[in-house]
Amino acid sequence: MNKREWIILMALTAPALNGGVTVKVVQAANAFLATLSPAEQAKGTFAFSSGQKTGWSNLPTGIFQRNGLRFGDLKPPQREAALKLVASALSREGFQKVTDIMNGDEVLKNAGGGRTGGQPSRGIRFGLDEYYIALLGTPSASTPWMIQFGGHHLAINVTLAGESSVMTPSLPAAQPAKYTLNGQTVRPLGHENDKGFALIQALNAAQLQKAVLNYEVKDLVLGPGNDGRVIQPEGILASELDASQQAMLLDLAHEWVGILNDEAASAKMAELKANLPKTYFAWSGATKSGGLAYYRIQGPTVIIEYAPQQGDLDHIHTIYRDPTNDYGAKLIKK
Amino acid sequence: MIPPFAAICLFLALWLAMALPAAAHRLDEYLQATRLAIDMGRVDVEMDLTPGISVASNVFSWIDTNGDGRISQAEGEAYARAVLRSAVLKADGAAMPMKFEEASFPSLEEMSQGVGAIHLRATAAIPAAAPGRHQISFLNMHRPQGSVYLVNVLVPQNKRLQIGEQRRDVAQHGLTLDYTVSGDAPLDWKLTLLLGLAMAGCLFLRYGISRRRTVVGRTPRSARVPPDPLF
Repeated sequence: MNKREWIILMALTAPALNGGVTVKVVQAANAFLATLSPAEQAKGTFAFSSGQKTGWSNLPTGIFQRNGLRFGDLKPPQREAALKLVASALSREGFQKVTDIMNGDEVLKNAGGGRTGGQPSRGIRFGLDEYYIALLGTPSASTPWMIQFGGHHLAINVTLAGESSVMTPSLPAAQPAKYTLNGQTVRPLGHENDKGFALIQALNAAQLQKAVLNYEVKDLVLGPGNDGRVIQPEGILASELDASQQAMLLDLAHEWVGILNDEAASAKMAELKANLPKTYFAWSGATKSGGLAYYRIQGPTVIIEYAPQQGDLDHIHTIYRDPTNDYGAKLIKK
Repeated sequence: MIPPFAAICLFLALWLAMALPAAAHRLDEYLQATRLAIDMGRVDVEMDLTPGISVASNVFSWIDTNGDGRISQAEGEAYARAVLRSAVLKADGAAMPMKFEEASFPSLEEMSQGVGAIHLRATAAIPAAAPGRHQISFLNMHRPQGSVYLVNVLVPQNKRLQIGEQRRDVAQHGLTLDYTVSGDAPLDWKLTLLLGLAMAGCLFLRYGISRRRTVVGRTPRSARVPPDPLF
């Protein structure tokens, strides 16, 4: 086999070697790009190293101007292809969570969010049309690229590099935190709430003394704009929890980690498990279900915060970060 | 007497606040989030101050003292210094003056939407800490009415510093933290590994040479290869 034949063979087999998920995501990305006009492609794609990487927010359109393609400007097939792309990078449960958050924003819009007295507020818009998608870099099964998807109360940043993918930093949030759609009660972050309370209620008095902070935390500490910052951890070390409580902590963290596709989530969960002895769980607020509480999970490669906003149980912000691997920093170095 | 332009600005801000939905954004609180970064001989203080929709016009009027609807550099700096005067930083119990470094301010419109954050950065020189236990405390009493506070310390970049216990009041006006300064900078593990390998290499070489010498020295005469008779 000569050198040229070898290169061709490697090129043909590379996608297979690089894992099924990435290949599927690349295919979905190319299918989405194929639905776009050249002008739309130019608007929705950015260099991988561009500043767009950090251009995300939890805020609605009108307050924060996102770049990329606005769903409201896409035709139905384009919109469908965009959602298929997002779904291909996430797990089934993760994509459901994303959908629930988006539908919640539509509910907020229909309930008068963005309007006062029936009149639209100045430029602030909610709802399904106000989600944006952008691709950074060229979809590839071998070189790094990124999918950025978000709108009000949602920022999903998926970086793919070869067979690996990461979803940090990301911000899943919800308002309303509970709504009815097609006769079904939907709680986009219901598991995050319920599993958090289940864990804190599983701690004994001595553990509670360490886990519960004796001060109020009324917002995210490391929300948007806090890339690269690591605060001194507090709370109880997971090594001081029993096996059942540790499993509950991991299961709670999985609510964020598991938004990403199963393959990547499994790898991340294994990392979290290995780092459990250095992982902290901190809680502030009521420990009785239905109360107002903030919590934080912080380990060497993870920071998760859950923060009801301004005393409102119906308005939750969360953040998911990996201080060592936000935007796939570690993957890119490889 | 409020200047007419300021009155218009205040009215506009209030109107904007009322026109916005009671959703998504901070409302009637002034969020003051502080991060401390401790290093040998200094503490950096970063503050993000975010007024809620219904208090934005008040906050703007505190800063825009000439009422022209804009925050000039001088007005911004004056406000930042006032914020710093409302805060106290202590190192091992002694108050340390905080030196204003820089600040940035949002527009009135951004502030009125409850999302415009004022960013403020200051630094305080603290005495070079001797090895052992030390304490830093920070107290923010700027506009306590209607404010909510966050205060945190970042994990030190300097490996000689280890943060210990942190204590806050319920509302997070203040943070007192213990930290330890170690005597010597701990070696970087990569450097340690490299040094270890280098030492092992030296020992191996030394051992190998000395062994070869020993073997040559012990070789019996009879076993030695006879010199080539042709040479």
